[in-house]
Amino acid sequence: MSRKTVPFVVAFILVCLVMAVSAVFAFSGAVTAEKFGGAVTWSQPYATAESMKVINLMGDDQDELFIQNTGNVSIFDGSGNVLLSQDYQNPQTTLGDVNGDNKEDIVVFYLGDVGYSVDTISDGKISNLAKTLSIGLPARVIVVRFVSGSQIVLGDSSGGLLSLSLSGEPLWSYSVGSEEIRGMDDALINGQTDLAVASHDGAVVVLDSQGKAVWNTHQESLRRMRAFDLNSDGNSEIITGGEYGALFVYSAVNGNQMYTQGMGQAVSEARVVELNGEPSSREFVIGGKDGGVWSFSFDGTTVKQMWSGSLSDKVTEISGIDINGDGAEEAVIGDDSGNVAVFTGSGTRNNLSSHSTGITRIDVGKLNGERSVVIADGSKVDVDKVSFNSIPGFQYTPLIVGVIVSAVILVIAAILVSIPKKPELKVSFQDKSRESLEAERRMLKESIADVERLRKSGEVTGDAYLARLKRLRGDLAENEAAFKTTGFPIKVETIQCPNCGGTLELGMDKCEYCGQVLLS
Amino acid sequence: MENFICIGGILLVFTLIIFFYLLNTARKRKTPATNSIGKKDYLPVYVSLADKPQSIMQGMDRLKAQVQRTEKAGDKWRWIPLIIFWGGVALIVIDLFLDLLGYFSIVFTGGGIALWIAAIVMARSLRKSDSQDFAPRYSGTKNILYTLRDDLRPSTTFLGHLDLTGALLPNKVARTTKDSQDRTTEYFRDEWLALKAKLCDGNILRVSAIQKSKKRRSYTKRSRISGKYRTKPEKFKGTEHDLKVRIVANPEVYTIVKASPFFKPGLNIGKFTVSQLDTEGGMISFVANSPFDEVEHENILQVIRSAYSLLQRKAA
Repeated sequence: MSRKTVPFVVAFILVCLVMAVSAVFAFSGAVTAEKFGGAVTWSQPYATAESMKVINLMGDDQDELFIQNTGNVSIFDGSGNVLLSQDYQNPQTTLGDVNGDNKEDIVVFYLGDVGYSVDTISDGKISNLAKTLSIGLPARVIVVRFVSGSQIVLGDSSGGLLSLSLSGEPLWSYSVGSEEIRGMDDALINGQTDLAVASHDGAVVVLDSQGKAVWNTHQESLRRMRAFDLNSDGNSEIITGGEYGALFVYSAVNGNQMYTQGMGQAVSEARVVELNGEPSSREFVIGGKDGGVWSFSFDGTTVKQMWSGSLSDKVTEISGIDINGDGAEEAVIGDDSGNVAVFTGSGTRNNLSSHSTGITRIDVGKLNGERSVVIADGSKVDVDKVSFNSIPGFQYTPLIVGVIVSAVILVIAAILVSIPKKPELKVSFQDKSRESLEAERRMLKESIADVERLRKSGEVTGDAYLARLKRLRGDLAENEAAFKTTGFPIKVETIQCPNCGGTLELGMDKCEYCGQVLLS
Repeated sequence: MENFICIGGILLVFTLIIFFYLLNTARKRKTPATNSIGKKDYLPVYVSLADKPQSIMQGMDRLKAQVQRTEKAGDKWRWIPLIIFWGGVALIVIDLFLDLLGYFSIVFTGGGIALWIAAIVMARSLRKSDSQDFAPRYSGTKNILYTLRDDLRPSTTFLGHLDLTGALLPNKVARTTKDSQDRTTEYFRDEWLALKAKLCDGNILRVSAIQKSKKRRSYTKRSRISGKYRTKPEKFKGTEHDLKVRIVANPEVYTIVKASPFFKPGLNIGKFTVSQLDTEGGMISFVANSPFDEVEHENILQVIRSAYSLLQRKAA
């Protein structure tokens, strides 16, 4: 290939590569310019919320913000005004229809003046449901809609469970291990609701409406347990996160272990988020104590990890919200350092404004008619209006960049081709007449004799002698070649070493330059 | 934050290195490169001479023109890599601007880095088209050939070589010696000009210009006080020139006189001093030395001309 063609061929190959990479990025949808922002609509002081929900609790058509911490239960209206604020000692709360008006009520399990008690708050009115209950320090409470009727199940810090009827009558009790109850959730088995419970010492059990174990198992100490029907088949999957990083997914039907993975850090939170927008299955997001974030999908038989990311501290809360209106939820995740980030369905992280104290709870809902994200931290609760912006057509920018780079490559190739080749710096000016060639030959032989004489007199030794000799013999070989080219008779006196290519005198047995033995 | 500063610092250093490399490519070096002994580096040319004077001189001019044309063609585009570099910076700035607006993008940065790589490749190619200057010996030799052109017997050629590849090449080490401290000294012998010509008057002229140099190799020495080993750099110990000339006189035209006031041992001619002279056997052989590392063509021609004073033309 000619000198002028090679740069263009190389440039063409590079341009093809650049454009191929650009096209892959442009058409895979991997390149987007999106940003999520949040503006605080209102903020109220409220320290370290343990439970929070945007829900209609006051019987009007508007949602309110229910919030609870270690000593108080409050309800704020959509503008941040306090509608109810009631202090309790060690309260645990849940939401459920207790009075049968088809509206959610607040159920508060707390330590009262007369022992452990349960209150209900309906339309802002507080009433006592049960007191002097035979159970330990409140850990969890849930209203479970069994087929046989709803029950309020209380969990304490020693693994004890106590079920109450909606009128406050004790129905059954159960003991799940000997440590704090860390999770209570509805679990569907063949479309019917049962109760999944797990305690900190690793005991996991599914109970029926009579308080009888459907199955139970034991694993490493656990931090979180959630139950979801991930693939909408009428049977829930139970997700547990261990103190030492074990993630388990059990079948609620029989306790079969469907998936397990070591996360490398304690699992501090697990939530369902509809990340891919495909409603027949739900995805779940796991948060770790060291800030790890993982998302998984479940298709009914296998659990697959979709992406992983990280925050800078312990993940304290995960919530799903469709911010950009594409039908898929984004995961809004908070950590113990006060950072809040939005992870999209592809795992891209976008930071929202951070808080000065650790995030304790995040929830989403409509407040004052606007879709809002409510974020509670160690000292206050903020209601944010989250926005989404994107640059239309940005996904095609790799093509533009590719064209620019390709153009530059072609211009460079053209410039390099226009520069003439650097001439050889070893040149020979040789007259081709017979007399001239013969004279040159004589001169070369004289010079060779000169070099030999210098060696004998010790003026030149070693490498310098060989180098000079090699060059002169090379010139002699060129002279012979010129004789042959011009058609003049010549008695050949040189040979070429087959090993190093150096020119030698005919008849030599060994190459002086490389030591090769010659058979000529 | 520390990570950001650390990574940002490293990237900044890389960017500055690339920038100054391209800037140095654009602003062509004015001061010539020097070799290990601090002398100016010249273009390493080797010319084999076996042609008529006119052809040799034309060929030498042609070579010079070709080298200059290549260099000039490269010089025309020297600023382009720097412009491409700034194009890359502009692309990266777009990404920074998007980041300031709250969008995360590295597409333009990727393109910018690709442009920087392209700029470096182009700068390297342009630097390859650079040449050093031709040594003064190149034009000096041409002048010697020009001066002698009319003295050359018709239909004959100059023979020999002009070797300007360098005086201190490893293959030009004639011998080495070691002193009592085990330090090695190298003696270089660079026969940079060898010329043979049959002249009109029937004489045969042979001229060899040889540069002899001496260099002590670097060596490691232990300090007597601290006991530490120290490496001493190589040291250039000096250079001198030998001009060897032999004139085989045409006995039909000339007789050789034994002595001449214009040419005798010990006589200074230009930068040369005649050190050996032999007029036996129908030929004049002499060696002239010069302590200078550079001798001009005028000095060589002057010595040859003076040597001719030993020839006495026979009566017709």
